[in-house]
Amino acid sequence: MGDGVANLPPGFQFYPTDEELIVHFLHRKALLLPCHPDIIPDLGLYLYEPWELQGKAWCGGSKWYFYSRRTVDRVTRSGYWEPVCQEEPVFTSSSRKQVGFKQCYAFHYGESPHGIRTSWTIHEYRLSGGNSSTGRSSRRKGQKIIDPSTWVLCRVFDCDDEHGGDSSGGVELSCLDEVFLSLDDDEVSFPS
Amino acid sequence: MSRGMNLSINGQSQVPPGFRFHPTEEELLHYYLRKKVACEKIDLDVIREVDLNKLEPWDIQEMCRIGSTPQTDWYFFSHKDRKYPTGTRMNRATTAGFWKATGRDKIIRSGSRRIGLRKTLVFYKGRAPHGQKSDWIMHEYRLDDGAASNNEIIGVCPAGDAMSEEGWVVCRVFKKKNYVKTLDSPQSPSGSLAEARLHSLSGGNSAILNQILSYMGRTCESKSDLLDKLNVVVSDGANLNKLSYQTKDNLSSRFTHLPRLGSSLGPNDHSNIKPSCYQYQPFDDVFLRADESPAFQVNQHGMIRDWATLDRLVASQLNGQAEVSLQKQQSYFVDDPSMSTSLPPHDDEKVPFPSQKRLTRPESHHDRDHDHQQNLHMYGCDNDFWGITTSTSPSSLSDGPLRYLSA
Repeated sequence: MGDGVANLPPGFQFYPTDEELIVHFLHRKALLLPCHPDIIPDLGLYLYEPWELQGKAWCGGSKWYFYSRRTVDRVTRSGYWEPVCQEEPVFTSSSRKQVGFKQCYAFHYGESPHGIRTSWTIHEYRLSGGNSSTGRSSRRKGQKIIDPSTWVLCRVFDCDDEHGGDSSGGVELSCLDEVFLSLDDDEVSFPS
Repeated sequence: MSRGMNLSINGQSQVPPGFRFHPTEEELLHYYLRKKVACEKIDLDVIREVDLNKLEPWDIQEMCRIGSTPQTDWYFFSHKDRKYPTGTRMNRATTAGFWKATGRDKIIRSGSRRIGLRKTLVFYKGRAPHGQKSDWIMHEYRLDDGAASNNEIIGVCPAGDAMSEEGWVVCRVFKKKNYVKTLDSPQSPSGSLAEARLHSLSGGNSAILNQILSYMGRTCESKSDLLDKLNVVVSDGANLNKLSYQTKDNLSSRFTHLPRLGSSLGPNDHSNIKPSCYQYQPFDDVFLRADESPAFQVNQHGMIRDWATLDRLVASQLNGQAEVSLQKQQSYFVDDPSMSTSLPPHDDEKVPFPSQKRLTRPESHHDRDHDHQQNLHMYGCDNDFWGITTSTSPSSLSDGPLRYLSA
């Protein structure tokens, strides 16, 4: 366990923001600095099945966190990860400076492109900056030097669990809440 | 209150990065609320008491700050009994607005055991019932394990307070995610899935109607050529319906006489038809001809050349007649809800002849005068032959073909 983690009262959990993941964790890892708390494991190049991560990745709030250097060819034995949307930039809340990118993937069973989509979702964070593009090209050339920009930080979770479970209130509303909130209690409003 | 500083030493947060106070519902209920109700000391006062009548949601942020890490939700205790001495309704009004409960209480379980209930509330600015919905949401948790009395479980407060300890609730307040403003919030949404869902649901009924209308508008644009050329003249109530329209090929107006109400409708029955200036096109002839020609082009007369025209014909008949008394071969085309939102395909040659089914009649029975007026109005708007946008009553959506699509 990381320092200070065990001393927290109940209710505290690992629930990082995008900014924290990039600034406090990914950035330090890429610079090969020790992370505080040093809780997120590095799974290297190996891409596990999402359900295999229990025990191998750091778990916080029903989500699994790990570092990876696997940034291309996201294929496992059972399936593959496919992006669900455009890559989004991540900014710091204070200075609005861009610190990285976030990309969402969904896991599909089977072989691309005919796989069946599952509810397993991964958020993959990478650092921004000029070296990220050179990082990719150097990988393609097969260089063995570990470029800091090749690190990504991943958060894997089952998005069905997320909505069916409890802690939906923090940032995202569960589907049921959304339905309730779109209806008024006493009157149902028709479009005028 | 200075309790907020418990988690920092010399301004440095003791909470490691990445960690924050984000309890599970079970922790909120089973650990924090139970202790509060039993007046037990809670080890670190991360959850404070708040008087909900005196604080706006945005003030709660300041009041309930924990450490120095950015937060997306805030927690506090509130007491229910302070609001009303009688009755069950809670007074949750503040200076700027009020909290309104929404939806049903959700049962919170620990394993399979029920431990409490959660109520969702939305903050409205202003005064009921004209409040303006805000993005502030509150989850209010209370202990409830279904037992007749909670006293045995909770215990008696040693302070002997007159206030019932059962009135305590623990609340979480947060701002609803507005996906348009992703830059403002620390955590980004998990992809376009959630985005699409939020947009579609937050629009509510009006969003669905807009989708329907825009779809109809789109499909109509593709047929605007044809529709532009259709001019419908509807006679007064005493006369028959007449349709005059122009085809793409033939710009001269032609008329077709549709059989009078209640008249026998044999193809040879001209007794009720005004002669001479009209070219009689018996209604059943149209269908018979269509029957013979799967491509449904009435080429000889150049009259009806595609489904849109036929739809109009049918619609005018529907709206113009209180009763439809036709022989069986004159059954109308299907009043299919799916068809009513999708006009006939653009390429008519490829359309197979639809099976003829008995139409459902319009539910309201107007007299003929009114209907002819409606027809006039109807055909004035291109795509409005089902009379949707002309109707001002909300029930228009619940009648007719689009009732299947209401939210």
